[in-house]
Amino acid sequence: MTATDYLDLLIKSLLLAGIYAAMAVGMTAIYGVMKIVNLAHAGFLMLGAYFAYELFERFHLDPILGAMLALPVFFLFGMAVHWLLVRWLPKSDTPTLASLLLMFGFWLVLQNIGYLVWGNTAYSIFTPRSLASVRFGEISIPKDKLIVFAAAVVSLIVLQIVFARSWFGRSMRSLIQNPYAAAIVGVDDQKTARLSFAVGTAFAGFAGALLAILFPFTPDFGASFQLRAFVIIVLGGLESVSGVALGALILALLETFSINVPLPLYWHGWKFVYLPSSYQPAVSFVLLVVALLVLPKGIAGLLERKWRVA
Amino acid sequence: MNLSSAAGRVKSTLPWLLLIALAVWPSTNPSPNAVRLLFITAVWTTTSLAWNLVGGLAGQVSFGFAVFYGLGSYAAAVMINSGRSPLFAFAGAAAIAALASFFVGLPTFRLRGPYFAIATIGVGEAVRVVMNNLDSTGGASGYRIMEKGAFRQIEHYYYALGLVALAVVIASIVKNSKFGLALRAIKQDQEAAAAVGVNPYFCKLWVHAIAAALTGVAGAVHARYAAFIYPGSEFAFQTSISILLMPVIGGIGTIWGAVLGGVIFGIVEEEFVVRFPNIHLLLYGALLMLIILFEPDGLVGLMRRTMRLLKRWFWSKREDSGSPDADKVLWGRGSVEGRKL
Repeated sequence: MTATDYLDLLIKSLLLAGIYAAMAVGMTAIYGVMKIVNLAHAGFLMLGAYFAYELFERFHLDPILGAMLALPVFFLFGMAVHWLLVRWLPKSDTPTLASLLLMFGFWLVLQNIGYLVWGNTAYSIFTPRSLASVRFGEISIPKDKLIVFAAAVVSLIVLQIVFARSWFGRSMRSLIQNPYAAAIVGVDDQKTARLSFAVGTAFAGFAGALLAILFPFTPDFGASFQLRAFVIIVLGGLESVSGVALGALILALLETFSINVPLPLYWHGWKFVYLPSSYQPAVSFVLLVVALLVLPKGIAGLLERKWRVA
Repeated sequence: MNLSSAAGRVKSTLPWLLLIALAVWPSTNPSPNAVRLLFITAVWTTTSLAWNLVGGLAGQVSFGFAVFYGLGSYAAAVMINSGRSPLFAFAGAAAIAALASFFVGLPTFRLRGPYFAIATIGVGEAVRVVMNNLDSTGGASGYRIMEKGAFRQIEHYYYALGLVALAVVIASIVKNSKFGLALRAIKQDQEAAAAVGVNPYFCKLWVHAIAAALTGVAGAVHARYAAFIYPGSEFAFQTSISILLMPVIGGIGTIWGAVLGGVIFGIVEEEFVVRFPNIHLLLYGALLMLIILFEPDGLVGLMRRTMRLLKRWFWSKREDSGSPDADKVLWGRGSVEGRKL
């Protein structure tokens, strides 16, 4: 491996991290405010992918525009889901099993509606842009990846500004920090919860549409990305946009480099071996368990602890 | 007549009558399809009972029981192929699944509630990926079980029946023992349980091992019947989901709920999947949501509620609690049918 190869991998993982962050941020918003581990996230991702696909096939709408359109549509959808299902759940400071199983049931429903409507063959969105790439010296980057990355980053920045500056963002952050104190100073928790669920769903649909540009998809498509989203929000400390970005970057780097870089292994003497690429999915799952165990507050929590000690 | 003691007597004899009926039933020459249906139902019910020990009794919802189901089936498959007897293979499957449960449980039981649940998803998927790539058992293309002698369906049926009876016995022993009490205490409040001298970590580990062993044997019995196993079905997330859905639908934390859930699931799965391959999980998802929103105790809870309502409608005149004060509170009167209570 030459230095250029490493640079190439680095850029690829950075581009991957963008879409990973967009995919995980919706889950963080929902978890932060309502303490619900949203297992239906995979269903929203999948619906987002098919939303972009249908718009592209029927109206020849560019999938990037489709993704943008997914934001308001899934926002309303999220409001409806919250009104219909989520608001009946008992409130709690910690995630409850009732909420876990309810969202899980909803995921099953969404996934199987997907199977009913689109069948189980893999679809993909193929535009004239799909094979184009941009060259920077020796490194060539697919155009789609660049565009998706840009869309994801812009949306995350907008979201960060909304969280930091708006009425909604302030009440949301107050609920994350301390729901009781927030209630005392007059934050409407139902309304904020509804809006955060809608924002979370909107971002899931948006990320699903973006993922559909890069990967082929089936109704089961959200599942592996949902697990990655878990890893990211656990690494990121569960409730902040910047934490999510950091978690996404770490996961993308580990996933890319674990199979492309020879790892030291002791087997009759030290050797360097490549991890077979079929084991790549296991990287995120193992990382999930390890992260849950050793970093219960995420990387940010770890840094915080270090600083407090120093 | 004292209604509650009669109900108790029926409740304690009914399982034995059911077992005898199921044991005698093959002598009526049933069709192979019916035998297969009951066989599958018995296997599913066993896993449902096993999951219920961990998820229902101890309150630790696991999305990773396919790990034990799959490891049990692969362990038994390898042993049968190397010429061991079926019973030896089943025992081996139980041992290996229980061993695996410690590997899974030692780290993950450091986590609480939903975090444990999410970690088990990760473990389950990681194991599936590894098994998909393991050359010695054929990887993703599966593993064939070759056994000498003719295929006798009834023999398989009796193994499954024996297994489910064993599972019911183990589940009721665990539930009614001091250990079961400790598990229920952990479910309600882990700190309080620890304060009165229960070690939550060890209790969880042991009940997990028992459940894993039962699930492993269920996988083994099924694998021997199917004679062909592959990671895409044995280790699938779908299998974990099915194992979790049965007790939740039937009634979480109760033995009869787990059995009921398993029976319904087994029958629906076998009969429904053939006709509507895409709808059955949709129905289960909808059912799961309805149960969580309206009747968290599942079908058993629903039955109890209707029984209470029926009792109040039909037998309210006869029912007395034996205490005038309590009756006054319950029914708002001190006498029934002119009889002074």
